[in-house]
Amino acid sequence: MAFRPSKSKKNLQKEQGELNMKSMMDMMTIILLFLLKSFSTEGALVTPSEELRLPVSMQIEKPKKEINVSVSKSMILVNDQVVVPSVSDIPKDMMLITPLASKLAEFANQERQLEIDVGKEFTHQINIQGDEAIPFEILFKVMFTCSKTDFYKMRLVTISKG
Amino acid sequence: MAFKPSQRSQSEDIQMDLDIRPVMNLMVVLIPLLISCAEWVKISVIEINVPPSKGPSSGGEDEDAQQDEMKEQEKRLGLKIAVVHEGITIGKAATLLEGEEGEGPTITRKEDGKYDYEKLREKLIEIKKLIAGKGFKDEDRAVLTASADIEYQVIIDIMDNIQTYENDKKEIVPLFPQVNFGSIL
Repeated sequence: MAFRPSKSKKNLQKEQGELNMKSMMDMMTIILLFLLKSFSTEGALVTPSEELRLPVSMQIEKPKKEINVSVSKSMILVNDQVVVPSVSDIPKDMMLITPLASKLAEFANQERQLEIDVGKEFTHQINIQGDEAIPFEILFKVMFTCSKTDFYKMRLVTISKG
Repeated sequence: MAFKPSQRSQSEDIQMDLDIRPVMNLMVVLIPLLISCAEWVKISVIEINVPPSKGPSSGGEDEDAQQDEMKEQEKRLGLKIAVVHEGITIGKAATLLEGEEGEGPTITRKEDGKYDYEKLREKLIEIKKLIAGKGFKDEDRAVLTASADIEYQVIIDIMDNIQTYENDKKEIVPLFPQVNFGSIL
């Protein structure tokens, strides 16, 4: 025999629960404010990797988007293109890094051409991103090469601690 | 004739909840957008300006000779900071500042093997105070040089420490802001 449907259940008034959104709104507002504070429109200038860990400094000056020379633990790149595949192959007795110099000279010529064609000023600026563990010798050679190829305003990119 | 009493007091207040769903929708869209644009690591740069290398077109020999003569007449300090494995040496163009024991680098490494940047700073502030107002043309310039295998982080740390300092009046003033690089010959 089937049971009779429950009468009490049928007449039970269903209570409609409402989600309290106010606290959620508070939270969202705070997150929004925090994120607005760290908002940056410049985009990523550097791509961190195991090979390229930037040194830490206390400087506060902001970087600008310029030609990037990255000196990682093993190779040298110009604007993400590998120029020197192995840092250890650089001859010890030569100050100028020849492949880097020719690549930079290419960029310098491009910039100069742009200055003539469209009036974009050649700033002579270059960003150098070096790994924190690269030896001074390599850094010095890279800087020497940059200054020889008309990029004499160098900017050493670091992670700001302050 | 008096006006009829207002019916307003008798009208029932309708309690209406603000519809916050559209705001919530907006937030849900805005937050991922802002997260993607947030900068988590603050990047900064250290400026190094070296004089442009002389191209074949710039100036004749006479001009160069004249410039060299001018340079010789100027009073120059020629401060050098050399980093070697044993420590940091401060020097002038031809002379070196000796360490406390009479030999070796001016500032030896600390006991834990780290370079003693505080001491370097103190010495440089001392030098800066001595040369202030004496008319040296390169009183803001220091040439930094290091052994071939000194790490980049050490160079950056030194540059952090030699560019500015806090004077007695708690003002931040330049120490040797123009840093040039040299190599040990």
